[in-house]
Amino acid sequence: MALQQVSLPILGMSCASCAATIEGVLKGIDGVARVQVNVNGGRALVAYEPERVNLARLVAAIQEVGYQVATAQTTLQISGMTCASCVAHVEGALRELEGVLQATVHLGLGLARVEYIPGLVTPAQMIRAVQAVGYEARVQEEGVSALDREREARQREIRRQGLYLLFAAPLALLVMLGTFREYWILPAIVPEWLGYKWVLALLTTPVVLGPGRQFFVNSWRGLRHGVTDMNLLYATGIGAAYGIALINTFFPKAGFGGEGATFFESAALLTAFIVLGRFLEAVTRGRTSEAIRKLMKLQPKRARVLRDGQEIEVPVEEVIVGDLILVRPGEQIPVDGVVVEGYSAVDESMLTGESMPVEKRPGDEVIGGTMNKTGAFKFRATRVGAETALAQIIRLVEEAQASKAPIQKLADWVAGHFILGVHLLAILVFVFWFFVGYERFFDPNSAFLLSPYRLGEIGVFGFSLLLSVTVLVISCPCAVGLATPSAIMAGTGKAAEHGVLFKNAEAIENATKLTTIVFDKTGTLTRGEPSVTDVIAVEGVTPEEVLWWAALAEKNSEHPLGEAVLRAARARGLEIPDAEAFQAIPGHGVEARYQGERILLGNRKLMREHGIDLSGLQPQAEALEREGKTVMFLARSDQALGLLAVADTLKPYAIEAIRRLQAMGLKVVMLTGDNRRTAEAIARQLGIDRVLAEVLPQDKAAEIRRLQQEGHRVAMVGDGVNDAPALAQADVGIAIGSGTDIAKETGHVILIREDLRDVVVALDIARATMRKVKENLFWAFIYNTVSIPIAAGVLYPAFRVVVSPEWAAFLMALSSLTVTLNTLRMRGYVPALRREERATVRAHPVAASAPSGQ
Amino acid sequence: MESMEPIGREIARRSAITYTAISLLAALLFFGAATWKGGYSEVARWGGAAWVFLLSMIVTMPLVTAYYRKRGRRTSIGGA
Repeated sequence: MALQQVSLPILGMSCASCAATIEGVLKGIDGVARVQVNVNGGRALVAYEPERVNLARLVAAIQEVGYQVATAQTTLQISGMTCASCVAHVEGALRELEGVLQATVHLGLGLARVEYIPGLVTPAQMIRAVQAVGYEARVQEEGVSALDREREARQREIRRQGLYLLFAAPLALLVMLGTFREYWILPAIVPEWLGYKWVLALLTTPVVLGPGRQFFVNSWRGLRHGVTDMNLLYATGIGAAYGIALINTFFPKAGFGGEGATFFESAALLTAFIVLGRFLEAVTRGRTSEAIRKLMKLQPKRARVLRDGQEIEVPVEEVIVGDLILVRPGEQIPVDGVVVEGYSAVDESMLTGESMPVEKRPGDEVIGGTMNKTGAFKFRATRVGAETALAQIIRLVEEAQASKAPIQKLADWVAGHFILGVHLLAILVFVFWFFVGYERFFDPNSAFLLSPYRLGEIGVFGFSLLLSVTVLVISCPCAVGLATPSAIMAGTGKAAEHGVLFKNAEAIENATKLTTIVFDKTGTLTRGEPSVTDVIAVEGVTPEEVLWWAALAEKNSEHPLGEAVLRAARARGLEIPDAEAFQAIPGHGVEARYQGERILLGNRKLMREHGIDLSGLQPQAEALEREGKTVMFLARSDQALGLLAVADTLKPYAIEAIRRLQAMGLKVVMLTGDNRRTAEAIARQLGIDRVLAEVLPQDKAAEIRRLQQEGHRVAMVGDGVNDAPALAQADVGIAIGSGTDIAKETGHVILIREDLRDVVVALDIARATMRKVKENLFWAFIYNTVSIPIAAGVLYPAFRVVVSPEWAAFLMALSSLTVTLNTLRMRGYVPALRREERATVRAHPVAASAPSGQ
Repeated sequence: MESMEPIGREIARRSAITYTAISLLAALLFFGAATWKGGYSEVARWGGAAWVFLLSMIVTMPLVTAYYRKRGRRTSIGGA
């Protein structure tokens, strides 16, 4: 049995037992023949059968037992890819390299992301492998320069195809006029010499050998390496039409249909239409990646830094963590940081989707790339370079755009096998019409579809060849291959514009299949800190007095409930003096003394132990407790003064978000460690009817699993750091309120803002994106399903019409363009909630600014 | 890497022989069938056979090359 041997670099081994563990796990894998682990060298030499196990499985097994295989990632810029089969070729070439674990190629971006094991393979080898299958590759440069180069490359392609089009289109038009000069009013305006076959040959030849040359060269380059792509379909189509035309012109008796069936106009128009398609694709394809370009443009270039008391302007790359930076009104914030002096409002809409400027005071975070509006302020840099939120967002969006949705697998498979399949079909069509069809069905009076051109004296070979060529020309794997990635690219970009970051395409697809959405309670639905919600006083005492005395008693307390009381008192502008004595009584409350009077603040037990009569307050206390609130009684000099209720409060827009999700047909569940009564009280306020209460933090993931086992497709919304296991377990984990530290997050979807309604926005965008994917796939598949049989002649026996190659070329170019244009419609898409928000801001600019959610 | 070149050339040579042979066989079958059925002109028979040969080459080239490349890799590794 043939064995493959690799030497894997392993991190984390410290002793012989580590080596034994790794040897043990690797030897246990079916297909592994020999393992030799060298602890000192940090390597494992593995001999395995590549037919039964692959490198990725070996790496995964090592990782499963707690060690890491040193891997690296690189991004290659690939040029020369034109369709989905090119993607399959490049991916195949990269995956065949020993040491490559994963290779994902994105046609729209012209990028290949490769995860590999350094030492086994190098980027230079990857480039050679890509070149070997007929494409150009180079390691991608980061940031704006890469963007500029990519734009330059696209501009060059647009210019090149534009020039070809300018050359091919007029000549093709002349050839068409010459071919049909006997029809309609053409005899009156088209000179006779233009209809001469040799003139048509003279006009067609430069079109085929000029703009059409690229298809012959590219397909030959691919064929030499054993790969086929769209160029081959074009080349065989153009070549066959041109070849028959030449034969029929110079050897009219050869039996290809004679002079009445020259196909010069087919060859010329076919070339012109294909070049038109290439030109339009080059123009439109770049626009689907506009979101990433917009984000990259946000990257500031210079910063005003205060060093040694001097204000100096430096390139943003020279800013270091800890630098004090000055920002004036109208200036862009260069890096991430924390405000230390000054006050301003900052427009963060470009990164968070927040429509209103956000106020910034000392202590507040600012994000690099956002725009300062009104005031000047100084801030201390906390993250620079690749660590800034903007750089992380760009990286995440790029990764998501380059990832593949599960739905794409079918499309990729179809596109990858399409070219071969179509050529095989072309043989079958030819053989059928040659041996059976022509004899049975051919009618000399039959015509081309939408053409006055009669088939006339065309022979069996010419007719069979015509249909075979038309099948090759009309089929369009490009549309199938572009359908999903172009929509995913547009969707992830659109989501980023609204502060929603999908980590990959799978998250988008999964988000559209959800049935249940689970919210963590504390910190997600509620603020996670108690607040005073009710103050009730006995007769003759005001609520302010109750709050004042309670705050006085709690002034030295560090208990969260005490802090809530103090915050409430300060919020009402009450001045609280210091108590003369203070004592915390664990499990009961506090006891304080002021001007000789004893103040008690605590639960029933505390009051009972001091013999305080609470009968006047009991009904209200019980009602508040039923709402899940914690009640604290206040007594002064052994007389009850009143009570205070404290509860965790809902986050802004929580109720609206839940209502909208329910309206979208989702079942909303609340997950919390709180006791059932408190949890149900909060759930009632929110309108949630299913509560999973008293769930320990470590059991949250198990609860999600249980819901999944019940048949639900579950999204979990929570804190990306603390709820990480539950987010990972969910079909879609949504980390909310990540702010600027995106790298820490574990969810499949990251919401930059803390606004719960962004969950609705995320699902809305996911649904719109998948709708677009399905529309694109529908059009691509329906086009090929309908057009190929028609081109193969299924309608001929009944209607006596065939599709001409030039019409086939036009339809083919149109189908691919339809998919791109349909995707481009997403550029104008705004989620419903954002549309309403913008309408509100326009209608009530001041009122809308209050609940900013920040 | 240098030792890979002769192997690569050998794979290319074997592939070319195989797909050309398969395509020629397909073309020959076509020509034989057309001759046996009768009623076709020389141009139709020869032209048809040429078209079948061309399309067969296009279909078999990537399949055969990939097959030999895969086999060659296994053989060279197995021998190492």
